[in-house]
Amino acid sequence: MALHPEFPLLTDRLRMRPFTRGDVDAVFDYRGREAVARYLFDPPLSRDECALAIQQRTNQTGLSEEGDRIVLAVETRDAGVLVGEVSLIWRSVEARQGELGWIFHPDHQGRGYASEAANALLDLGFGAADLHRIFARCDARNEPSWRLMERLGMRREAHFRQHALFKGGWDEEFYYAILRDEWLSSRHPGDF
Amino acid sequence: MSSLRLPVETAHLLLRPFERGDVDAVSRYHTLPAVQRYIERPTRYDEDVAAAIAVMRKQVGLQRPGETLTLAMVRKGDHRLIGQVSLKWSDATASQGEVRFAIDPAQSGKGYLTEALTALIDLAFDHFRIHRIMVRCDGRSHHSVKLMQKLGFRLEAHYREHALFQGEWDEELHFAVLDREWRPSAKVLELPLRDRVA
Repeated sequence: MALHPEFPLLTDRLRMRPFTRGDVDAVFDYRGREAVARYLFDPPLSRDECALAIQQRTNQTGLSEEGDRIVLAVETRDAGVLVGEVSLIWRSVEARQGELGWIFHPDHQGRGYASEAANALLDLGFGAADLHRIFARCDARNEPSWRLMERLGMRREAHFRQHALFKGGWDEEFYYAILRDEWLSSRHPGDF
Repeated sequence: MSSLRLPVETAHLLLRPFERGDVDAVSRYHTLPAVQRYIERPTRYDEDVAAAIAVMRKQVGLQRPGETLTLAMVRKGDHRLIGQVSLKWSDATASQGEVRFAIDPAQSGKGYLTEALTALIDLAFDHFRIHRIMVRCDGRSHHSVKLMQKLGFRLEAHYREHALFQGEWDEELHFAVLDREWRPSAKVLELPLRDRVA
């Protein structure tokens, strides 16, 4: 169902909120890096491209119709440092499908921030947005990303080999997914 | 690419384009619940089948991406039309193809689909230079699953409840095979004798 949450969303250590114009430098600091862009569809972004991307995102804060997305800046609650971004896309209204995504600054990886933020977005997707299935995908070589999908309780549903071209070479892609029932039983294990 | 020669002949079958007069023969199997159960566009009545054949009759080659080649499976002995196979050129940049099929349930289990699909996949890789072929099927369709395994396809995807199909949550499988997996030695065998060095 349509979803226009109130921000910020809070977790133990993180604050998730819409992007603002003041975030350009912080975003450029990770989206400008080759290591971050390697497995993204976009190449490393220039500062101007980051400014443009953020301008688009200031409106991406709710789900009204199919294809809409919520893209949120993730910052630490204590120091207010922007450590990355998470997104939830409404892929199918009829079949209640959503897609989850994330990009994090390499300097802040390995502390469970991505896991914490992604879990909060799963709760939002299965909770207020009433989705039936949420999936995520990544390049098969991007092990930290699919390890995170497994930690989130997602199952590997697809392993595509050479089904498209990606940055001048053949792709290899994983799809992971979690159903509403699976999410419910992970949140309330005693009830089943 | 040399022009495509039809019909394609296999040991027991002729694979030929559909004709106007095929409506009765196709209706006999296509409208059966056992076939309808796994088909995306329902054809419950003869009129639906006639409309489908009007479309399939024109699917005789792959000139542009997005086009489909559809062939009727006709048994050589009694000229009976027992099923259909198709190849869609789904993506030109990455040379991707999708194969579909349907057979008269009374004629399944006799190896006809294996024979027809082998010929169609040969055509896809050797003639149309497709790089990867995928097949989608319903998770409950055990005959299709066995057939894909027999043909050497890999199971690439197992989607659970990722869409609604005929009013219910779906379970969809994707199988795929790459050109080099299908026939690793094809490139060597293809060379005509006169082109060899020694």
